[in-house]
Amino acid sequence: MAVVEEVSGGRGLDITRGAKAALLVLAVGITCRLLGAQFDWLVAWPEALTVPMTDWVGAVVGWFLSVFKPVARAFSYLISFPMEWVGAVLRYSPWPLTVGLVTALGWLIGGARMAALGFFGLSFVVISGYWTEGMNTLALVAVSVPLAAIMGMAIGIAAFEFPRFKGAVNALLDIMQTVPTFAYLTPLIVLFGFGPVVGLIASAIYAAPPMARNVLLGLERVEEDIREAAVMSGGTRRQQLFLIELPAAGQQIMVGFNQCLMAALSMVIIAAVIGGFKDIGWEVLLTMRKAQFGPAFLAGTVIVVFAVVIDRMSAALAEPREPQSKRVALGIFAIGAGVALWSVFAGWSPNGVAWLDGWAEAVDAGVGTFTANNGATLDAVKNTSMFYGLLPLRIGLADAVLPFTWGFQWTAMHSLMFFAASAAIGGLLAWRDHLTAGVVVVIAALLLEIGIAQAPWPLMLVGAAALGWVASGWKLVRLVVILLGLILISGLWERALLSLYLSGASVAACAFVGGVLGFLSAMSTRVWTVVRPICDMLQTIPLFVFLIPVLMFFQIGEFSAFLAICMYAVVPMIRYTRQGLISTPEEMIEAATASGAGKWQTMFEVRAPYAAPTILLGLNQTILYAFAMLVIAALIGTTGLGQSIYLALGQADVGLGVTAGAAMAILALVADRLVQGFAEERRKALGL
Amino acid sequence: MKSLMKSGLSVLALTAMATGAFAADLGAKDEPIKLAINEWTGQHVTTHVAAEMLRAAGYEVEFVTAGMLNQFQAIADGDIHATLEIWSSNVSDQYAVLKGEGKLEELSDLGLDAREGIAYPAHVEELCPGLPAWEALKDCAMNFATAETLPMGRLVDYPADWGTPGADRMTGLELPFKAIPAGSEGALIAELRASTEKKSPLLVTFWQPHWAMSAYDVKFVTLPAGEDACFTDPAWGPNPNAINDCDFAASRIFKAGWPGLKDKWPAAHEILVNYQLAVEDQQPMMGAVDVDGKSVEEVVSAWMGANEAKWKPVVDAATK
Repeated sequence: MAVVEEVSGGRGLDITRGAKAALLVLAVGITCRLLGAQFDWLVAWPEALTVPMTDWVGAVVGWFLSVFKPVARAFSYLISFPMEWVGAVLRYSPWPLTVGLVTALGWLIGGARMAALGFFGLSFVVISGYWTEGMNTLALVAVSVPLAAIMGMAIGIAAFEFPRFKGAVNALLDIMQTVPTFAYLTPLIVLFGFGPVVGLIASAIYAAPPMARNVLLGLERVEEDIREAAVMSGGTRRQQLFLIELPAAGQQIMVGFNQCLMAALSMVIIAAVIGGFKDIGWEVLLTMRKAQFGPAFLAGTVIVVFAVVIDRMSAALAEPREPQSKRVALGIFAIGAGVALWSVFAGWSPNGVAWLDGWAEAVDAGVGTFTANNGATLDAVKNTSMFYGLLPLRIGLADAVLPFTWGFQWTAMHSLMFFAASAAIGGLLAWRDHLTAGVVVVIAALLLEIGIAQAPWPLMLVGAAALGWVASGWKLVRLVVILLGLILISGLWERALLSLYLSGASVAACAFVGGVLGFLSAMSTRVWTVVRPICDMLQTIPLFVFLIPVLMFFQIGEFSAFLAICMYAVVPMIRYTRQGLISTPEEMIEAATASGAGKWQTMFEVRAPYAAPTILLGLNQTILYAFAMLVIAALIGTTGLGQSIYLALGQADVGLGVTAGAAMAILALVADRLVQGFAEERRKALGL
Repeated sequence: MKSLMKSGLSVLALTAMATGAFAADLGAKDEPIKLAINEWTGQHVTTHVAAEMLRAAGYEVEFVTAGMLNQFQAIADGDIHATLEIWSSNVSDQYAVLKGEGKLEELSDLGLDAREGIAYPAHVEELCPGLPAWEALKDCAMNFATAETLPMGRLVDYPADWGTPGADRMTGLELPFKAIPAGSEGALIAELRASTEKKSPLLVTFWQPHWAMSAYDVKFVTLPAGEDACFTDPAWGPNPNAINDCDFAASRIFKAGWPGLKDKWPAAHEILVNYQLAVEDQQPMMGAVDVDGKSVEEVVSAWMGANEAKWKPVVDAATK
């Protein structure tokens, strides 16, 4: 919103781009509101104009599956070998040997700190009693990551070598990241057969894009003189690429590899939904089914531990480092091997270990007691948020304000008063030279009175198009209209609006809470030391785990889903806000200090505007995360596209699954392009 | 003497034939038979009992963890050879399709007497006097109301992909309840648990055998019996204008397998077809696992030892 205002910052009379767009949207909105009662087609997309998109998609995918099934089956047959080998090695190696090896590796990578991390991390897995399951999980990751890395590498190089395809490649990567995995799980099973291979491929699809993006970025950033030197020494193009340019882009590629690892780990739970493999994800699902928060949390923590160890070690690999003594590493490994020998003879296996079960039960009981003691308070929190926040947003003030909720019945009179008040505020803003802001206030009031889930389609379509026009231009308008039009004619519009409402409400809450937390983290390192590990945990623990306490506290329904989405999506907002605020160039701050600005003044007038593009990027990520979480939130009974995807999964309805998944990806993509458009515009304004 | 010999031989032959009619060939007994392990404890118990029976017959058995909804393609492909606890109330359309194409063989009912119904944790009786009679719900619906359902009561129904039986009952019986789909089994259990902890009102669609029935002292609402006529004839039942104004139709629990099972392991096929397990046997085992925290293997082997009469004859009939 702030951006729109900024754009319209000129004199009131000469109408800016933003103001024009806002006025158009307002005109459409008022027309729909006034005439909607007489003409149904102005509110709901006419039934006659929808096409049986799900059937068509189903038919096309079905044809595709029957053609490619033999190839895919052959591939999954081949890939099952390395998978079994790695699995066997990890499963049958005595645990002290593995612990010793990882500790030694940690020493080589980052000295005593990394060695300690490896040792304590894996020891935790041993005492949790999930060693075998953990090794199965690692086997899955160990095969899917190289697959994803090779795929990402190939895509990245192709995009670099053939710049013509860069746009198409970017779109492909977006699709790979935004279409929820559950949406194409059924076709994947038909295609690749049952078992861990499907999970492996699903996680490779999800983990490849960050690798590809970083490879491309790295290659583009290789300095001209290095490139020229390679050309002059007269190698073939392939030699230049593999011997000179790729190594030069090494650091960026390692960043991509790190991201790829983390993405693969976060997909572990999806592999478990299919089954075929007794891994950690399966344990989480089993305990989830029994609503046992403690054990589910313990199993989830094992995944977090793996993620932290792998993340820190691979991140250390990406940085230049001093060589460590190989002898120490050998020594550590030898100790591990020795203990391993002893454990083999003593017959000590980690399978019966359950040292942490007591702790897990205590956590579980704690959640129960908390619910029992605070039932009334929790209900009050939920009801207040539903009555005064979520319900009006979804079905509008006109329907949400009832004697049961607000204590009185909303009438046409109230609507008139509400519109008059908003028009007054809008008029005042316009009079004070903020025409766009004024119009936007009236549009927001209109939307709040109708409700997002019941909003007329012309208003939403024109609104999105107008945002696209202000953010970037006609090209974006075309894209937005075509993509949203596809959802309209596929008949999934109503469900899409429900998804939009829920993710929109969550994003708004995340932007506020995350912005504040990010700001505090930037101001004080003490806050950041507390916030950072929480962020790490929220990003890697399978979020299924948190559904249980949320459910216990607030029961099945939209408020629980809202909270679950917020927990996940708030993280990028915090991280990027902090990053943006602390990375202001020193000279700008010095200049501000020299001209007598205080700490707070510097924050708001120098750092904040400079950080705007980064913060917008964080908002962008928050939007994508919120959409990703929508599918999981469907497990606690939301309606909307997420539920369609589960329905499709249950009925093995390939067409519905893929179409609903595509609709969700479209919403995410449109939001992403709009925010990126504004971020780009900001960057230009700042001269970056 | 000769004739005696002859008749003796023919008697031998006859006895051999008589048993041969029942006993089947073991088949490829060195290759493991793969049984599906789904997401719930009852199924684990059922499958482990079957596995022990197959092992007693001389087979090797392997367990494959498989999602309930995703396992059927695997069975059609022969990656899994049998799954032993399919609920008719919760089976994907894919099952019917694959069975129709002859890629799946239905093996027979398990004999597990299942029941589905509208249920509540015992403490709710105090909040809605008159329960378990369904008529009581008419007057205390407001006690069950929440923010999403006002002014109606709230019924937590099955996850949307299992169908909407609870909502159908409420419409059929004209009860002022709005059905909210649970989203997943874990969500249903969390509701039961929270309601028991908070002593708050709750009405759910639930089923037995399930460990939570005893853990949270769940009771069924008494509804008019679910006769066939109720689902076809509106005039039947308390509401003369609607169908579904009655209890759930009895649900079926059955077994299915890979069509090649019969030829590759004939005796195993026979054992799995004849295998029966009763609620009285399964429910205590489930409790021992989920409530007492014992391992499935432990509980099942104890049961097998104590109840040989219940499973040994099936194995013997197929192998001897």
